[in-house]
This record gives sequence, C-alpha cells and structure tokens, in this order.
Amino acid sequence: MNQPVKNIKKVLVANRGEIAVRVLRGCHELGIRGAVVYSDADRASLPVLLADEAYRIGPAPSNESYLRGEAIVDLAVEIGADAIHPGYGFLSENADFARYAEQKGVIFIGPPASAIDAMGSKIESRRIMIDAGVAVVPGGRDPVADVAAAEAAAAEITYPVLLKASAGGGGKGMRLVRSADELPAAFREARSEAISSFGDDTIYVEKFVEEPRHIEIQVLADHHDQVVSLGERECSIQRRHQKVIEEAPSPVVDIDLRRRMGDAAVKAAQAVGYTNAGTVEFLLDRHGEFFFLEMNTRLQVEHPVTELVTGIDLVIAQIRIAEGRPLEPGLADRQPQGHAIEVRLYAEDPFNNFMPSPGRIEYLRLPEGPGVRNDCGVVSGGEVPIYYDPMLAKLIVWGSDRAHAIARLERALKELRIEGIRTPVPLFRQILRDEDFRAGRLDNGMLDRKLKSGEWAASQVDASELADLPLIAAAIAHAERQDVVTSQPKVSGGQRSHWKAVARREAVGDHSWN
Amino acid sequence: MELIIRHRDREETVHLDRTESGYRIELGGIDYEVNVAHDGGAIHSLLIEGRQHEVTMRRQKEGVYWVNSTLGVDEVEVMDPLTHLARAAHEATGSGAKQVTAYMPGRVVEILVAEGDEVEAGQGILVLEAMKMKNEIQAESSGKVEKLHVEQDQTVEGGDPLFEIS
Repeated sequence: MNQPVKNIKKVLVANRGEIAVRVLRGCHELGIRGAVVYSDADRASLPVLLADEAYRIGPAPSNESYLRGEAIVDLAVEIGADAIHPGYGFLSENADFARYAEQKGVIFIGPPASAIDAMGSKIESRRIMIDAGVAVVPGGRDPVADVAAAEAAAAEITYPVLLKASAGGGGKGMRLVRSADELPAAFREARSEAISSFGDDTIYVEKFVEEPRHIEIQVLADHHDQVVSLGERECSIQRRHQKVIEEAPSPVVDIDLRRRMGDAAVKAAQAVGYTNAGTVEFLLDRHGEFFFLEMNTRLQVEHPVTELVTGIDLVIAQIRIAEGRPLEPGLADRQPQGHAIEVRLYAEDPFNNFMPSPGRIEYLRLPEGPGVRNDCGVVSGGEVPIYYDPMLAKLIVWGSDRAHAIARLERALKELRIEGIRTPVPLFRQILRDEDFRAGRLDNGMLDRKLKSGEWAASQVDASELADLPLIAAAIAHAERQDVVTSQPKVSGGQRSHWKAVARREAVGDHSWN
Repeated sequence: MELIIRHRDREETVHLDRTESGYRIELGGIDYEVNVAHDGGAIHSLLIEGRQHEVTMRRQKEGVYWVNSTLGVDEVEVMDPLTHLARAAHEATGSGAKQVTAYMPGRVVEILVAEGDEVEAGQGILVLEAMKMKNEIQAESSGKVEKLHVEQDQTVEGGDPLFEIS
C-alpha cells in the first residue's frame, strides 16, 4: 500500500463554483499551481479569475463539459498537471474517471477506484458493512425492477418507505413514499432521475426511519495504513434530503458516542481499503443507536465546519495524502474546539417549494468580522446559470460555544446582501430563532415539517421588525420612478440624459464634484 | 400622491408626500416620516423614527417592485387609483382554459399527455428539468388538455406558457 512521496506541482480542478475556489485556495497555500476547466457558461466565473491557468472544456450543459472525464484527464496530461481534484458532485464519485486518471499517470486526489466502486453501490456497500460488523438501516436489499415489484417490497417492509437509486446521492433518485397510492409516480420520477443523473436506473426500497438525525463522521486515511476520525457533523436540517444547515459538534454527541461512531467510521473505511478524505454518514435514532447510511468518497460540501473546530485544512490534508505523505501524528485524539455552523446559500425561493431562482446577481455584500468565513463561488454582477446545482456559496461561522455560534450567524446574515435572485436567508433567520433549533432538538424531517405546518413561512415575521416596511419601500420606489419617467427628455441623443445626472448628484449628496 | 399597494393578501391605500429629506407616508392610519438616502443604485437607507432599515427596491415591471429587506424578498404591486379601477374590472371577467406557465427556466424532458387528453387533478403533464432537478408538472384540476405549447427537449424561459387545461 505504501507509495513513495511524489511532490505535486500542478493540480487541475475538475469542478466549478465555490468548491473550485476552495480547492484553488488549498493549492495556492501549498505553492501549487491551480488550473481549472470551465464551460462556456463559466468563462468569467470566480474560479477562472482566481486560477493560474484555465481551459475551456465545452458548452454549458454539464454532460458536454464538466462530466467529460476522459477529456479532462487528457487535458491534465497535456498541460502537465500531476493531479486532478474532482471537488464534489460531477466526476468526484466516478470510479471510471479515477481509474482512467491512474492509467494516464495522473494522481486522482481521492480514494482508489475500487473504494469508490464499493461504496458507490448502496446495495454492495450495505453488504460490506454488514460483513464488517457496522449496523445498517433495516430494509430491502434487492433491487426492484418495476412498479409492481416496488409495491410488493414496500408492502412487506410497510410504509413509509424510501425509494433509492442504487447509484444515487444528494437526494437525487430518492423519494419518500407514505402510502401505496403515491408509489407509481414516485417510482417513475426516481427512476427517471436515476438514469439521467447516474446512467443507472437500479432502485431499491428501504424502511424510512422516522425522526432520525443525520450525523456523519469525517475520516482521513493515508497510504500508510492509518485511518483517523476527525469527529462528527450534524446535518439534520434538510429539505428533500438536501442538507441546508450543518454544524460541528452535534449538540447530542458526547465523547463516548463520538468515539463509538468514529470507530465504526474507521472500520467502514478500512473495509474498502479507503485512502484520502471521506465521510461516513449515519442515522442516529432517539435512543442513541446509529446505523450506517452511506459513505461519500470525496470532500463534502460541509467540510468547513470540521475544519473550524479541528484546525485541520482538509483540502491541504487531501493533497498531502495524495502525495503519499503520512498523516501527522495526534489527529485521532482531538476533540472539537468551540462550535461551527454552516448555511448553504442556494439560488432558490425557500417559501415557494425551493423553486430555483437563476439570474444575475445584481449586488453582493458578504459578511465580515470575527469568526466569519465565506466560501463563495460567485461575484457581484455574475450570472447564476440554469445548467448546474443552484448552490452559490456557503457561510460558515465559529463561536466559543453553540449559542455564540448561533448569535454570530444571525449577525453575519444581517450583514449579508444578495440582490437579484432569491436565497434561503429569510428561512435561515427563522430557523435560528426557533426554540427547538436553539435547544438542539433536531431531526431530518424538521425542516419539511415546519414548512408544511406554516410554522416557518414567508409570512412569519420577527415581531421586532416593521411589517409595513415592504409597502413603504415600494411606495417610495414608485414615487422615485414617477420622477424619473416624467423628467426624462423625449429625445435622447448620444449624451447622458439630464435625469441621470440629477440622480447621480443626488446619490453622492454633493453638487460640487462635477 | 395617492397609491394603491398590494402585498401578499393585503391591499392598502397610501398617501405619500415629498418632504425635504424624504417622504411622509400615511398607511393604515399611521403616519410615517421617512428619511431617504441611496447609493445611486437600488440600495436605500430608510430612517423611520431613528430606526435604520437597509432596503433594496428593484422594479420588476411597470408597477411591480421586488423589495429586499430583513423581512425577506417581497413582491409588491403599486398602482395609481385609475389603474387600480381598470385592473379590478378586468379581473372580474374570468376566462375559460387555464394556462400553466413555466415557473423557472429549464428544459422539457418528457411530455406525458397529448392534446385532447382528459386528465385528472394530480396527473403528470410533463417533466421540466432545471438545475439538475426533474420536476413533474401536474394538473391542478381535472379537465381536458386544450393545448400543449411546448415540445420535448424544448428550452423554456420562466413565464413561458406550457399547456392549457379547461
């Protein structure tokens, strides 16, 4: 398993958006050149602006650009990149991509293709975990070929059940089915999503465990047979199985549970010969029992919360491991320091069924100050394309304890301004004010439940806010607009019209500058 | 100036007068003295009774504004009394077939029905894909598919008509 140390001098980032920026930062801190690929939709994107080298990989649709695995590996060879960092999503859990890179002599910054294969199939990984003595969620293990087979399996397991794509992840190809009449449509959607997202329509049915918490363990494994757990993240605030808010440590995990979950995660990683950074996801039930869910064989979106409470830079650790260096000693014994929370900023409307909200970011002001970190992939004036995942940025805060972290996040959200598109920020404010959230009483169904009941809704306004404000503001905007329309000259030549000049003078409040 | 303002299910008549530093606004029996400053763009500082509100007002179309404040992003409709009268008269006359539009830009990946089909409420009509998510657009009520405005693999913009059900 041991391999000689090979210094990486140039990394090709096979991704876009905030994670491409995150990886470039790690490269630059190690003195490594960072190259990126970009699609036509991303020519002027932030990763391109921050990269040392940038190469066009194709038109906007991802299957013609960021999913062109062979072309990306061939490009790495051509430009003399020693390694490829896949980020998350796209090709990050594609074993063929990792294998092809290995064949071409390019280091894949991630686990061996065999580990991706083993963990990539939910059915196969469950079997391996059972053999390794790691507890799994009760449910069917056989794929269901059609609606009739799914109905039979669901009837046996009893509703509610989850339909899951064997190759799935991120909630894609997954449907919660509460009763038999919902099953046909859900099966059709799950299979259609599975085939278009993963090229594999294998579906299986599993018991849906009510009110579980999502707790995951970050692991690092080097090429010298060392595997360590870096503690847990709690990601129970989810909508349709997509994480929305993550934190570390979990408010319900104590030192003993952390050690037991860590041991299980290490066992899971060892069972597939894992190397590099990975995450073992568990469901934690009300009684403190935990079940293996899946292993994500890549860097996670929410990795920063672990970085903030452990002081370990996971991207740098990934590159060091890929170079063949051993893990630094003493990692396994660390306990989390303080508390970190992350919110994901998506271009979507949280109070309108999370409808995507692509468009132009008219204005962007990121929060600053103590304990605030922005992992942002967009710039003011940039377009949010319709072709990709709608996540724009992550806002992460660190506080001395959970209450401090919550207060800091509320403060940071007050400073944040994103104009031109909708984001879930108003929902985040409500979640952070919620008594259950503040008390750490979380479960995976909480967000969908509280949205459905109307407890969290666009109309739920902080009592200290001025409810008439939108009306007052719109009236003023309309009055300003009338001024503009009525004073606009009928004929405008090539010169700046009079009303604009008036507006600009008003804007700076100083008539002397021109 | 008198204005009619609609926000969610609320409709208010508002009186607005210009003052030296901004506006005096009468709304729902309350007089608001608003001191206004802006950056030359859409971002405004509204000082109301000493309280600072950072608000962005962005015109979506004539008479419709997106207001972004600590309360969230709100769509607010503003009209003069004459426009309001005309609008009310128009809304009183209902129409036959109900047109369903695309709520976001995306691509039609599958059409599940044909023109003339009788469909039931909740039945899938077509599948729209945007931002890697597939969404089955379903009939809100039972009826006949009068018209399909799109074809398979067609790209649509938000607001484009998809189909009509009578």
